[in-house]
Amino acid sequence: MSPPQVAARLAMPLVPSNPGVREPELMPRQKALIRNVNFFYDRFQALKNISLPLHDKRVTAFIGPSGCGKSTLLRILNRMYELYPGQRATGEVLVDGENILAPGLDLNLLRAKIGMVFQKPTPFPMSIYDNIAFGIRLYVRLARSELDDRIEAALRRAALWDEVKDKLRQSGLGLSGGQQQRLCIARAVAVEPEILLLDEPASALDPLSTQRIEELIAELKDDYCIAIVTHNMQQAARSSDYTAFMYLGEVIEFDETERIFTHPAQKQTEDYITGRFG
Amino acid sequence: MSTYARRRIANGVVTCLSIGATAFGLLWLVLVLWTLIENGIAAITPGLFSQMTPPPGSAGGLLNAIFGSVAMTLIATLVGTPTGILAGTFLAEYSRGSRFGEVVRFINDILLSAPSIIVGLFVYEVMVVRMGHFSAWAGAMALAIIVIPVVVRTTEDMLNLVPNALREAAAALGSPKWKVIVMVSYRAAIQGMVTGVMLAVARIAGETAPLLFTALNNQFWSTNLNAPMANLPVVIFQFAMSPYADWQVLAWGGALLITFTVLCLNIGARALASWSTFKQ
Amino acid sequence: MAADIALVGRSAAQRGRAGAMGDLVFRALTFLFALLVLLILGGVIVALVEGALPALRTFGIAFLFSDVWNPVTEKFGALAPIYGTLVTSAIAMLVGIPVAFGVAVFITEICPIWLKRPLATMIELLAAIPSIIYGIWGLFVFAPFVQQYIQPSLIASLGQIPGFGALFAGPPLGIGVLTAGFILAIMVLPFISSIMRDVFETVPAILKESAYGLGATRSEVVRQIVLPYTRIGVVGGIMLGLGRALGETMAVTFVIGNAHRISVSILQPGTTISASLANEFTEAVGDLYLSSLIALGFILFVITFIVLAIAKLMLLRLQQRAGG
Repeated sequence: MSPPQVAARLAMPLVPSNPGVREPELMPRQKALIRNVNFFYDRFQALKNISLPLHDKRVTAFIGPSGCGKSTLLRILNRMYELYPGQRATGEVLVDGENILAPGLDLNLLRAKIGMVFQKPTPFPMSIYDNIAFGIRLYVRLARSELDDRIEAALRRAALWDEVKDKLRQSGLGLSGGQQQRLCIARAVAVEPEILLLDEPASALDPLSTQRIEELIAELKDDYCIAIVTHNMQQAARSSDYTAFMYLGEVIEFDETERIFTHPAQKQTEDYITGRFG
Repeated sequence: MSTYARRRIANGVVTCLSIGATAFGLLWLVLVLWTLIENGIAAITPGLFSQMTPPPGSAGGLLNAIFGSVAMTLIATLVGTPTGILAGTFLAEYSRGSRFGEVVRFINDILLSAPSIIVGLFVYEVMVVRMGHFSAWAGAMALAIIVIPVVVRTTEDMLNLVPNALREAAAALGSPKWKVIVMVSYRAAIQGMVTGVMLAVARIAGETAPLLFTALNNQFWSTNLNAPMANLPVVIFQFAMSPYADWQVLAWGGALLITFTVLCLNIGARALASWSTFKQ
Repeated sequence: MAADIALVGRSAAQRGRAGAMGDLVFRALTFLFALLVLLILGGVIVALVEGALPALRTFGIAFLFSDVWNPVTEKFGALAPIYGTLVTSAIAMLVGIPVAFGVAVFITEICPIWLKRPLATMIELLAAIPSIIYGIWGLFVFAPFVQQYIQPSLIASLGQIPGFGALFAGPPLGIGVLTAGFILAIMVLPFISSIMRDVFETVPAILKESAYGLGATRSEVVRQIVLPYTRIGVVGGIMLGLGRALGETMAVTFVIGNAHRISVSILQPGTTISASLANEFTEAVGDLYLSSLIALGFILFVITFIVLAIAKLMLLRLQQRAGG
């Protein structure tokens, strides 16, 4: 952030005037806790002793230079790495008190509750309707009208309903890049997850679509615990409540976004934020 | 002569030879197709499609042979396609780096190019000898064994083209692996897989050797799959090698029919393939 | 598990378990059918060996070296068919490889872009035409042509050279080893050409551009950059074509003349393994006759298996080297 931006940010009161006492609703509840997590691609250790919380109804951003492990960390949260042999994680991730890294856990059920949106939009080769219905149909059998309602609700949440309500039967591949990504977000929220993982959701999109996605995230955080990976620092500063700065597989600093971008405690964080490397 | 002039001449020679080789190859294509049409067109009459194979000296058609070919090709496709798709799915989705997968892939590619007459011998030993008689079932099985490696190869190739991100997106919604494959991967690869089936059908439509000692031949109209059945390639073989002129005309007619079908399937498959890549 | 149900509710958990069962079943199913591919090959080997055993036991290893083929006295030897198979395939390679190479070079290096696809398709149509079509075309069109024009001129020219001329001796019959070999060449050249093309396309453009940038002519780039880079793949493609030529049946059957004898002259009729099988199998009376034919089939299978396996290994090596 440039000095004028920092100044502008400082001028806006985010914390109540009496910092010692907080209103109960504003007190962020911890949704998930990552505890002493290590991650290995075969012999190579990609994550070293990661511990940090994820707060409910807040956005937590992971930032850092390429290869620092931020996407790897995100993908631990829904155990996406289990799709590939040779990748493994140790440690604990407690979601509402239950360790989701425990062996024997049903991964499909886990992933129904922890949704993910990827960097590149990935609409399924089906109609828009079926794209959203796909996840819903995996776990519940709904009457037609109920399904229609769920799908409409999901598309509204993703700010896509008005644009596609007349062409629900058309292929999802026919939408623009920004629309496809919002379709993926709608698809993810349709299954009513508790945590949303966003892996650089706007990096493949044009600036206008990026802005719309960011607005969307600001709305979504009222209902979900969101973790977002981004290589765009300004985006992290704009959109998130908490930020974790990572480097070479370690969390160098984790704090409220405000503090990270105005008074970083670590020199490395400061160097990255001011653009000295990365 | 300077070195440069020599190099230019060498280049010219290579270029000329390449053009000549291409023209040579195309020449034979044109010649074969031309004589095929020239000789076969006389036989393309309504009678060809309504009468049975005649004894020498009388008029007739190829109806029983056409029926036999269609029936056996259909059965072979119905048996071979799901087999090939499932085996190909295993290679693409479940066998990442495994030894077993490598061996299956290797063996499959060998079967793909193996002489089809060997397949005929195999089915003869396994089915005809055990059943005690030739049959259309045996012929269809021989053709199915030729279909399977083609479908395995194209299924595996097409599934490997489906981007992993799509699979991850489905898994991220909590989908079990088999649904990811059936509802997402297959749908994404469907056009390529259909192309593969079309090419497999084109291949078996013209195969003679595997039918020689399995389905044999049948002079008369028969729908009994448990008995020898007429089929176009073997009829063509028999009629063409014979000294009877009217049989030879029928042979050319049958040859034209087969070639036309095969070329349509081939060109159709290619058109489908390029249309789908164009769409993306 | 408690955590699952707490997260998603009972019926969804049930669906989840059903999904896991579905995964097991589907995986087992695909595995079984993949196994089937191996079993087919195994079955082929077993069936052929079983059928060939009587003949091999009766004649022993001499079967491979005897050119006697007498159904009446029940004395059989595989030498004539093996010889014919090898010679026709050799002719097919001699003619087919240079032509395939020329086609591949033309399409990848010389041809204008808009012509590439249609031209490649047309050459591949040569491969799509069924074998039996080549057979009847060969018998009715090509063989008479060869008899009238090609063979007499060959006899008159190359046939007069002492020693070497023995290859072109004999009356011009039209049918024979040379005709069969030539038709085989036309049939295998699209396969070889297509693999060569694929392999030539793997050469990185910047490699060729750096050579052109130094002023190399097209033929020099092909000979000194493309060929060495793709050598293994080219050989693999050639072996694949050879495998096809060895096993080709119907086209050869029509024009080879079906004579169980070995002659030096390639203008003479002969026979190949597949042609013998196609012609004689359904008429064979007597267990030893049948078994000898199956033994021929087994020999063909072994030869083509070895050739195809080598081809596949070479193409795999090229893939690995290209980083694929």
